[in-house]
Parts: sequence; structure tokens; C-alpha cells
Amino acid sequence: MIEVRFHGRGGQGAVVASELLAHAAFRDGKFPQSFPFFGVERRGAPVTAYARIDDRPVDVRTSVTAPDIVVVLDAGLLRRVPVTAGLRAGGLLLVNSPRRPEELAGLGPFRIAAVDAARIALRHGLGSVTLPIVNTAVLGAFARVSGVVSLDAVRAAIESFSPARQVENAAAASDGYTDVVTAEVGPIPELGPASPRTVPLVLPEDPVASRSSETLPTADWRSLTPVIDLGRCTRCNFCWKFCPDNAIEFDAAGWPVLRGEFCKGCGICAAECPPRAIAMRAEA
Amino acid sequence: MTRLVLSGNSAQSYAARLARVQVVAAYPITPQTSIVEKLADFVADGELPAQYVKVESEHSALQVCVSAAALGARTYTATSSQGLLLMHELLHWASGLRAPIVMGVVNRAVAPPWNIGADHTDTIAQRDTGWVQFYAESNQEVLDTVLQAYRLAEDLAVRLPVMVNEDAFYLSHTVEPVDVPDPATVDAFLPPRTPRAVLELGVGARVGSFTGPDHYVEFRRQVARGLESVLPTLTEIEVDYARRTGRDHGGPLPTYRVDDADAVLVTMGTMTTTARKVVDELRTQGRKVGLAKLRVFRPFPAEAVRALGATADRIGVVDRSYTFAGLGAAATEVRSALYGRTGAPTVASFLAGVGGRDVTPQIVHRMFDALLSEPGTGPAWMDLEAEREVTVRG
Repeated sequence: MIEVRFHGRGGQGAVVASELLAHAAFRDGKFPQSFPFFGVERRGAPVTAYARIDDRPVDVRTSVTAPDIVVVLDAGLLRRVPVTAGLRAGGLLLVNSPRRPEELAGLGPFRIAAVDAARIALRHGLGSVTLPIVNTAVLGAFARVSGVVSLDAVRAAIESFSPARQVENAAAASDGYTDVVTAEVGPIPELGPASPRTVPLVLPEDPVASRSSETLPTADWRSLTPVIDLGRCTRCNFCWKFCPDNAIEFDAAGWPVLRGEFCKGCGICAAECPPRAIAMRAEA
Repeated sequence: MTRLVLSGNSAQSYAARLARVQVVAAYPITPQTSIVEKLADFVADGELPAQYVKVESEHSALQVCVSAAALGARTYTATSSQGLLLMHELLHWASGLRAPIVMGVVNRAVAPPWNIGADHTDTIAQRDTGWVQFYAESNQEVLDTVLQAYRLAEDLAVRLPVMVNEDAFYLSHTVEPVDVPDPATVDAFLPPRTPRAVLELGVGARVGSFTGPDHYVEFRRQVARGLESVLPTLTEIEVDYARRTGRDHGGPLPTYRVDDADAVLVTMGTMTTTARKVVDELRTQGRKVGLAKLRVFRPFPAEAVRALGATADRIGVVDRSYTFAGLGAAATEVRSALYGRTGAPTVASFLAGVGGRDVTPQIVHRMFDALLSEPGTGPAWMDLEAEREVTVRG
């Protein structure tokens, strides 16, 4: 049995990718299982999805904690979510990233593959600059580097089950298959299963967060940052009015100031700004 | 101490006043009771300096109490039957947020068909919400239990909401003498609440935020610990209350003439008074019978039931509710508590008094007769209309 864990952000299509993988594996004659796991259902929030593929019916119903393959749809998650937790040494780590896989070698003793799925998605008009829908390009790459499913099956699954833009999504999968790059890996050290992640459990005695949301930075899933051009800003307050997270404040002179610790990069301020004084810039 | 002739509903109101509740929230329309009317009088007349919040539903009434309790207030509300059912969601919020609310419930039958008679279905249906549940036998017990309920709910090891339940009509509208303790006595027994820092006006904080499977179960375990603290804490509270008032209601399962009893009937609420008299009658005939009153249904006093089962050969459990199950709800609990004990008694299940029908001495006799002869496994529906001679109108 092959166990796969997808990491993405709400809106990127991690859950759909996991389902499409199940459909593709089924077309290849395998027995698949796929399910998502998420907490707050919000665009941009970290999302996990699981898939299992076997030659016989899958007989386990738990989350995947020791995956053979980890797929990361948003490279920004690499420094925020323990994406490699439980990934066995020599396992496959596939990342949507414009970087060379060798640059990601520090993530651990894994086979590392990278595909610039955002560029492929935009080439096929999937999603927007602020939120490219990268899942199908990543799935094409997955077919190539995992060998678990065929590209034909991935394309057929997309054409049958993709919620929208089937032709473009199938083309994106083909491009992902072509473009994906795998790092030349040297000898991988023999390691046992990764040690289980331990979380120190310090709970309040009541289900009360003793701190206000004001003291909790909530911007950790931001991938784009609004940059305000004060030369064009008319101090109309629209950005402040429309920001769903109160992430815009004003300085003494009435100029808008971004509270980066609360901005989730949704881009609403940029869309609503009458003089187009706000641009969304990709996070480093 | 003052002796007043009070209804069960007024006993609730007087107790809430003596407890110096700070927030009363009430939906003022049917199935609300005179409990909150009397409290409204107390507030309007300046006899109770509380915030009295009128709301648009029972759901909102409990929400007000949950919020006020999170701010540290001592809160009270009351309801009945369908109103309690509408509160169901918020009952979970109250226990999960460890809100020490005390609520008076007038036990009434659940529709359809409409019926406002005494029946425990409304509160039994809230069995799994994390609330402590008391069932009272007299108006005196109503008043005393409300005062004890605040001490219990606010105990830092417990921190859970408490229902004080009274049978419709047999207590709610029955007037009888009640000893009302002096405010000074109650103040010494029940000092102002010392809240844990939950919410504070002007300071941002959150309660009940999203918690995934990684921590949720630990919060549930904390509630379980609170429930585990209830019965030991109640024992301490009753000792203190008896010292100050001279009244002791005997813990979660007070017993009567059970020491050498072959057959014991377990009752809840007002039917207990009638059954106690029947026990005396049967004892004069030389029949070894006894009685146990299930005063606390949640948390269930399993240890006390096991002590009872160590001496009695036959236990009959009377449920004043039909819960659409194989056995009565209390009977199920009693059997479960005795499961696997060597020499465990036979446990019979009786349904009596459903929908406000009288539980007469004759019916209690029939239950003891069945128990002493051939107790079935139950449930036995007592006093069905089709099985007795009735005068049909028309």
C-alpha cells in the first residue's frame, strides 16, 4: 500500500487533488482511498488530505502519519507546517516550487521533486495570480515521479471529475508531467521511521483561550502581501472598510498602515482600492 | 428562619433570592412558570438586586446565563418541557464552558400530544449534556437543593451547571409549609462566587474556540473529572448545610427501611412520599420492603446503588418517563451499575406516572406485589387505561 499526504491551503485544491488521484488510481485498476482533514474552513488555511492506493481494498481508516509520499502544494507551508513529519527516509517529497529540487535538499533524506505548478496553472488560465489553482499540474508531476498512477489515468480522471475547466486542467497535468524535476539524490542514510511528533500539552483548565485574538498573529498562511503606494493613496479608507481582518490601521495623518501580523493576503483591499494604490506582492 | 407556605415554584424563587443571584434570564411565555414571575417581582420590588434579562426564547435565556457566568456572575434561569428541549444545544455549551448555572426545571410531559402533567422525559432527555440533575420530593427539598446546587456548581473542582427538577403540579403548584432560612445563614453557607478568570469586561479573550482532535478529548476528560467530583463534594456540602439548618436530604440516594429488605423500590421525585407510606403499611404486614430515592440522576450514584444491591434481592425501578427504549432510563442505569456483581439482585423496570397520571398507593402496592412475586424483566407499564375500569364520558 502506498500512503500519500497532501499539504495545501484552502482554495488551492489539495482536497480535489487527493480525490482525483483516487479516481486515477481506480482507473489503473487499483483500490484507492482519499479523504481530507481540516479545521477552520477558510480560504488560505492549512489543509491536509490523505490518499491510500493498494492492489486490494484499503482496510484502514486513520489519518496518514507515516506517508510514503508527501505532496506540498504551497512552498510557503514548508516553514510553517511540519510537512515531512513521519515521511520515511527515502520517501518522495514533491513540492510546488519554482526552485531547483537541490535547493530543497535541506528538508531531509528524501527524494525531492519540484514543479513550478503556479506558472503552469497561470499559463492555462487556472486561478489568479493571487491564488493559482495548482492541483492538476502537481498531479501530473505526481504521476511522473511517483510511478503510482499513469498520466493517462490522471488526465482521464480530470476530464471526468474535475469540477471545472477540464480541458485546461488536463493540459496542466501534462505540463506538470513534463516539467517536474527530481533532485539527483546521493545515498540516503538508513533511518528508521521518523520519530513521532510530540506536542507539549499545556491546556487551560477551561476551554478558554486566555488571550485575545488581538495577541495571536493570524497571518501565518499569507502568501501575498499588500503593498500600499502612498503616492496614489487618497486616504479614502476603503481598504480599512473592506479588510475582513482589521489588518489596516491609520497613522496620525490618516495614511493606511498594514498590520502584517493579521493580514492573510486575501487581496480584497487591492481589489477595492479606488485609485489602485495597493498591489499584492508575493512573499519571499 | 421563617416558615412560609410556598409552592414549589416559589421555593425556587426564594432560593434564588437567598443565593443573591446576579443575573436572571427568562423567556416569559409558556412553558415558563411562575418561578421567574416571582423573581421578576423580587427584582421590581428592590428585594433582589439582579439583572433581569427577558429574552425571546429559552435558547437565548440559557445563552445569557452562559455569557454572564463566563463573566463571573451567579446566574439563574428556569424552564419546563418543550422549553428545556429548545435549550438542548446550549446545555452542552454551559457544561463545556464550565458555567456554574443553576436552573430550575418543572418536569412536564413532552408533546405530542400536548400535556403539562408531571413527567421526567424532558430532563431525562438532557441526560447526556453534562449537567448535574437533582429530582426533588418536597418544596423544602427544592429550596434547600437550589442553595446546595450553587455551592456544588461553583466548587472549583466541579464547575458544572446544575438542574433542580420538581414535578409539575405535585410540587410546582402545590403549596405547603417551607422553612426559609435567614439570609445571614445562607450567606455564611454560600459566600459570593469566586469565579475563575474566564472573561473580563474590556479585556479581549475567547471561549470555546475551535479545537481539533488533538486536544478536544482532553477538554472532555476535564468535564468528566468535574462530574467525578460531584458526589464527594455534595457529601461535604450536605454536612455543612445540615450543621447550619438542621436539614439533611441524605445524599444522592437516600434510603428508607432497606437494611433487611428483600425488595426495594427506587423512585424519583414526589412519588417517593407515597411509596414511603406504602412501605410502612407493608412492613406492618411483615413484608420486608424498602425504598431508595434517586435524588441525583446525573452523575449517576452507581456506588450507592451497588451498596443497595449488596443487601436487596430484588430492586424495582420506577421511571416517570417513557424514553422509547427497552427499559426505563433509571432502570437501565441501575442494572448497568450492578452488572457483573456476584449475587446481583433482579432489577425490574416499572413505568408509572407518565404524562402526569397519579402514582397512587394502589399502584405502588402493585409494583411491590410484582416485585415480591414474579418480577418480569420489564418494562411494566403501570396503570394503563385499557387495563382498568373507567367511566367513559358521553
